[in-house]
Amino acid sequence: MTLKPKRRSRLRFNGLKVIAALLIFSGPPASAEHKDLETLKKETEEIFNEKVAPFVKSYCGDCHGQRRQRGGINFLPALDSPGKPMSSRLWKKALANVSAHDMPPEDADQPSENERQQFLSWIGQLKYLSPKDPGPFVIRRLTKMEYGNTLHDLLGVDPSVASELPDEVPGEGYLNSLSPMQSEQYLEIANEILSQTLTPNGKPPTVAQQHLFGEAPKPGDDARASARKVAISFARQAYRRPASDAEIGVLIRVFDLATENQLTYPDALRLMLKAILVSPQFVFITPATEASNESGIVPLDDYQLASRLSYFLWATMPDSELSKLADQGKLHEPTILKDQVARMLTDKRARALFDGFGAQWLAVGEIKTKTFDPRKFPLITPGMRQAMYDEARLFFEDSVRQNHSVVRLIESDSTFLNGTLAKLYGMEKAVTGPEMRQVKLTNPNRGGILGMPGVLATTSFPNRTSPVKRGVWVLEQILGEHIPPPPANVPLLEDQDQKDISNLTLRERNELHQVNATCANCHKILDPIGFGLENFDAIGRWREKDDAGGAIDPSGQLPSGETFSSPKELKTIIAARKDDLARNLTRKLLAYALCRQLEGYDEIVVDQLMEPIAKDGYRLQTLITQVITSYPFLNRRIK
Amino acid sequence: MRSNVLINRRTCLRGFGVSLALPLLETMGWADTLKGKVAKLPVRLGFMYMPHGVIMDQFWPTTPDDFLKSPPPALQSLRPILDQCLLMKGISGVPIDPFQGAPHALELSTWLTAQLPDADTRDRINIAVSADQIAANYIGAMTSLPSLELATMPQTHKENQAGLNEGYYSHCSFRSPTQALPAETNPRTVLNRLFGKSNLSGHLSQVDPLDRKMLDLVIDGAKDLRRKLPQSDQHKLDEYLDSIRAVERRIAAIEYRQKEAALEKAGVASSKRNASDSPPIEIKIPDGDKRSEYMQVMCDLNVLAFQTDTTRVSTYIGSTPNGVSYPELGFDDQHHSQTHHNKDKEKIRKVAAITKFNIDQFAYMVNKMANLREGDGSLLDNCIMMWGSGLEDGNKHARENLPFIIAGKGGGSINTGRFLPNTKGNQGDLLSTLLACVGIPLERPLGIATKQISEMKANA
Repeated sequence: MTLKPKRRSRLRFNGLKVIAALLIFSGPPASAEHKDLETLKKETEEIFNEKVAPFVKSYCGDCHGQRRQRGGINFLPALDSPGKPMSSRLWKKALANVSAHDMPPEDADQPSENERQQFLSWIGQLKYLSPKDPGPFVIRRLTKMEYGNTLHDLLGVDPSVASELPDEVPGEGYLNSLSPMQSEQYLEIANEILSQTLTPNGKPPTVAQQHLFGEAPKPGDDARASARKVAISFARQAYRRPASDAEIGVLIRVFDLATENQLTYPDALRLMLKAILVSPQFVFITPATEASNESGIVPLDDYQLASRLSYFLWATMPDSELSKLADQGKLHEPTILKDQVARMLTDKRARALFDGFGAQWLAVGEIKTKTFDPRKFPLITPGMRQAMYDEARLFFEDSVRQNHSVVRLIESDSTFLNGTLAKLYGMEKAVTGPEMRQVKLTNPNRGGILGMPGVLATTSFPNRTSPVKRGVWVLEQILGEHIPPPPANVPLLEDQDQKDISNLTLRERNELHQVNATCANCHKILDPIGFGLENFDAIGRWREKDDAGGAIDPSGQLPSGETFSSPKELKTIIAARKDDLARNLTRKLLAYALCRQLEGYDEIVVDQLMEPIAKDGYRLQTLITQVITSYPFLNRRIK
Repeated sequence: MRSNVLINRRTCLRGFGVSLALPLLETMGWADTLKGKVAKLPVRLGFMYMPHGVIMDQFWPTTPDDFLKSPPPALQSLRPILDQCLLMKGISGVPIDPFQGAPHALELSTWLTAQLPDADTRDRINIAVSADQIAANYIGAMTSLPSLELATMPQTHKENQAGLNEGYYSHCSFRSPTQALPAETNPRTVLNRLFGKSNLSGHLSQVDPLDRKMLDLVIDGAKDLRRKLPQSDQHKLDEYLDSIRAVERRIAAIEYRQKEAALEKAGVASSKRNASDSPPIEIKIPDGDKRSEYMQVMCDLNVLAFQTDTTRVSTYIGSTPNGVSYPELGFDDQHHSQTHHNKDKEKIRKVAAITKFNIDQFAYMVNKMANLREGDGSLLDNCIMMWGSGLEDGNKHARENLPFIIAGKGGGSINTGRFLPNTKGNQGDLLSTLLACVGIPLERPLGIATKQISEMKANA
């Protein structure tokens, strides 16, 4: 038992190496672009059999084999199938522990430093063992936002009819789950919108109603045949694909049920429409045809593709143009697909990409509910929160619409302000009124997401800034690095002995992180970035002095050696890491589009996407188009 | 099986798939009660959660005798009903070894499952049916809503710990191993939905009588789609169909209730209520955004749902493990940051205040239940209400002596008024015991359970 704490502290001490190792091996080896994947796979297989497997057997097997499974870890399955996603998770874990000298444990045989380093570099290559695979796929329920928007497009109702549904996380981490209570809400919402859209019996029909129902059958006409027409046409839209004969048959049975119960023709249609709106074919995105294939992998049919595309960029159902291309079976053709992406990105519905993805990525969605100390920050009003959010949204949308490079997200000489938000910029004289508008910036420390109040505020505590939180945010959200969580038994900054540190500035106190060996390795990376942004207070106002009245020192040095003396210079250093910025955004967007975490073969996909993205100067529309034309976006696994 | 379970277990074990028929309420004892037979009062099971553990020496009584005589500070608000409470020290949590980087992501999701997520598919939800949903599967079929899930905060926290799906952070109820149940956070929505106080034209109490048959056709009609889908998709579809089936049953229950109301009007005695029972409590939804008032109305809704036998199973995630602060207590610090107190007095004071605040809301709920007459006793007599946390002490993420408070006698199945300082058992054992007290036989142990904790039970 005495060994345990000791080993933990070792892990912390070596945290930096873990990060470094993950950084180095997250990219492709320099030669990757020039070798084809088959060659790489063969090479990796050889390396695996000759080097990795013997290493694991001799250094890890005793404790992590079939006989003993310390910490619940057994390498045998991973040795049998090293390229499977579950194996790759194990390899990543091994990478972190071996790199940190945490494994093998002190009392076991140790590899030489050379062996250790080689093992780490081999593991970075193991992704090439992943078989070509679009990843796990399960039919997906519409999110709350998608459901509201779809009802709006379908029947012209306000999307807020869905507002009572529980909030949920879209994209990566989407739960795709629901409770009986929620199904009940679907039924109630269907009732509600049908009574909004359709007039009661005997009253003249609304325009929408005429459009939906077409000509009413005259006495003597076949009412069932007319109902069938309505069913086919409405189900085509609501299911986002043609309904099968069997599915139409079900709807006709609903119609029959209504007429058997003496409902009038319009009321019978109403019940049929309600059945469509609570059907799984409406609530879920379902394939048009049964797929079967020996390999277990099939391309999405054009209808499914139209939906995936439309819900990704617009968070709503495909419009008539996309539907037409799906009907013609042309949407999957590369040039047509690319043209559609370009069209969709300049459409106003593309704001959904920010509301669904951008707000989550930048964490500014939290601004709406975050707690602020009201005594310290009376400026935080609902209007201010909204303006902070809108600034980030408009800036993101503008960058995409103008097809800027990802670099523009970091460095920009303009932003979007209204009179409320201008107060935080000290520009309340120049910018007045409630309208958000594009504003030229003169202070080069501002501009880009790192100088944006919404971002600076959500990465602060309720009453003060947090250089650590800001540092972690920049590294993880913007540059895509992995920061191990702090060990549980290490006190946070405030926990340190108050007497000793009461005379120190926040910066001096944080520098204690770097004196303490257990903290130093990670904080050496985090803190300089956070301190580089200290001129922005906890709601994003510019300041020269901190809360205690001490002058702010925004200078610093990154572990890689670059130095900076202002937020502007820090931004320049970060903006220069174009490839990391673009790779991170690509990964995050792909995960959002697929509604799952990336794994195995996805890593190879991202490597491949980076080439055309870099060639085109890291432009945002190119990046998004590459995600949409990628293998996992266009295909699905059915086994 | 206890005699109050008048239903064949197989009928209400709602598996997945479209093969199962809608269990008709008439077959489940309702018709019998209508005919004047006396059924035993149902036992209800409720859970309420707070993350990050407690300050141990302010939560546990010093000795079993002190429990009633001078209870610790955290339990003061339970004083009037401590004789109806049970405290056990020594219940350990699920060891989270393979997920060392995820102490908080697993607090809540292991709380009612007593089990870890599947490590190989950790990026998706894949854990186990939670204790509340096991209960909902057995006794939920007898009420119009199988279970009620409430939460104070939206379940949208994004933080990746150890590669786990972020849903693990903020969910405690799992209807199947892969189906996390979303919780309601809006009291008005809950009130409208449960008790039909809605003006909305779409509300279920005003539904078309044909809706039930229509839903039946929709479920039946999904067969064609189902046949075309790969297995994993079929499973997802079944989850949805299963929940539509629950809606069918709700409609049936509402129809039944309307029928019963008509009978009552005509002078026939109500089957489900005794004349001496307290009238249903009033719900007042607060205007402001005071946390205590908000939590109390959620507690009221839970009480009303149990009192009216609208459901017999509930969970209330009183607080989630993410940046939550309590301005009402006079400080803005976030709960989590204070729990890593490292023995700092000020932080300990704040964590204790937050803990007491949460227990106070629980106490508000169970005190209310204790004051509502039902049958020969109180509503609380027929309930098992559990308050607890997924950690012992947030400072070091310890999970050895998880704090739990059990309130209510569970229809006479639980021996209350005691503090058991040396209980041997784990979270799974505790949950298994509670399920047994509700009358639910388990086919296999729940999560890490190996036994029942017999000393909790009456006549043990």
